[in-house]
Amino acid sequence: MKHIVKILSLLVAISAFWIGLLQATIIPRSHTWLLPIYFVVSFGCYGLLMVGVGLMQFPTCPQEAVLLQKDITEAKEFFKHKGVDVGSD
Amino acid sequence: MELADRAVGLLLSSISLSIFTYYTFWIIILPFVDSDHFIHKYFLPQDYAILVPVFAGITLLSLLSVFIGMVMLKSKKKKA
Repeated sequence: MKHIVKILSLLVAISAFWIGLLQATIIPRSHTWLLPIYFVVSFGCYGLLMVGVGLMQFPTCPQEAVLLQKDITEAKEFFKHKGVDVGSD
Repeated sequence: MELADRAVGLLLSSISLSIFTYYTFWIIILPFVDSDHFIHKYFLPQDYAILVPVFAGITLLSLLSVFIGMVMLKSKKKKA
């Protein structure tokens, strides 16, 4: 419940700020009307950028991959000796 | 396989950056430029600057709800 109240109050504050900007005409009127859509689009863009950057910097661990494959073959041998069917490869 | 990951990541970041710069230009800078500057040829009329993101957002929301609806229907069918 508290989380929703926080989010709602944030939204109300942002819309109050926007309406204040509209009344005070610091920025030209036409720009102020387009501000919310601009921020939504730029926020989506920022999310996409973070996903792309994270993808580029994702660390792979080649040594761990080799060790994991060794563990898998070891476990398969063990189970085959015990008579369990390890299925297709 | 990390090369494919990096290529996709680079593609995504470049797409997002280009969309951001194009949109910033469209909305903020273009109204201040004289109307017979050549740059206006490369940008659609300003009304589209509102229509295109709103349309894309509505499409995204409807696709999401269709997907959720299909998943809910499938799970209900399996239970019954």
